[in-house]
Amino acid sequence: MARVRRRDPRSDEALVQTCNEGDAAQAAQAFEALYLRHKDYVLRIALRFVPDTDTALDVLQETFAYLLRRFPPTGEGLVLTAKLTSLLYPVAKNTAITALRKAGRFPSGDQEPDDLPGVEGAEPAGDTGDIRKALADLPSGQREVLQLRFVDDLSLQEVADVLDIPLGTVKSRLHLGIARLRSSDFAKRLLGE
Amino acid sequence: MPDENADNEDLAEELIAALEAADEAPLVITARVDRAVSDMATAHFRGRRSTWRRPTGWAALAASVALVAVLVVQFGSPVFEDETSLYADVDGSGRIDIADVLAVARTEGSRVSQAELDAFAMRVVALDAGAS
Repeated sequence: MARVRRRDPRSDEALVQTCNEGDAAQAAQAFEALYLRHKDYVLRIALRFVPDTDTALDVLQETFAYLLRRFPPTGEGLVLTAKLTSLLYPVAKNTAITALRKAGRFPSGDQEPDDLPGVEGAEPAGDTGDIRKALADLPSGQREVLQLRFVDDLSLQEVADVLDIPLGTVKSRLHLGIARLRSSDFAKRLLGE
Repeated sequence: MPDENADNEDLAEELIAALEAADEAPLVITARVDRAVSDMATAHFRGRRSTWRRPTGWAALAASVALVAVLVVQFGSPVFEDETSLYADVDGSGRIDIADVLAVARTEGSRVSQAELDAFAMRVVALDAGAS
């Protein structure tokens, strides 16, 4: 996979189907294509929750290991009913939370913590550092909805589906998150208010 | 009825751009990571039974072996019908004809009786007559 390879023209659905039913070589090739297509996305998601790139890379591999196990012979196969990223997001997030728990960053438990710490990044600099700080100051639920809506460009319903929360909750979190982000020093400076 | 995406208008483009810039992942996914995932996928799928290709290949191979076996049995070697018969493709031409009778007469003349040669010739002639 290290060699330069053309982007596979097949859709995610077609690649998943090949992973489900293709022979060994076909399935491995299709899975690699899925990985190459979505690895940057998964890494971005991981870095929203974990503070360092090494842990994020572990999350990346674990996320794709989970996806791999969904396919035969270990799994039943995968039927995509939404974008593949809608599946990858919660997997990457939960894997990241598990990694944080192992690192002792918050108590263990079955439930997602009420408020995950924001990640400012190792070397915040300039405007990027400022926006990261502004994001880190938001409650995790609001921060997450803001990023899914405006960075990942999901619809409100897709955000609700990905987070498995009611649409009304998404709207209220978004509303509060926007208001809070606007009131940050960074936003005031950026917008000249 | 409120627009589901109405809130989208409430965030300035500058802020959206800043959010996107802050979310860019560093270029840290090395070839080693890619290879690890590739190896993982190869190992995972290795035990999988192939779908249509291999069964078809095996079926074709089995059919070919059976066909070759039949051809060998039928035409592959010039065998006598029984140990006492002279009826055979002696000259290896691929068919049993009068040339085989003559070949037998030349090489086996000392040990084959005229009656046997005549019988061989009659069978060949009868076969040719039946075929035409």
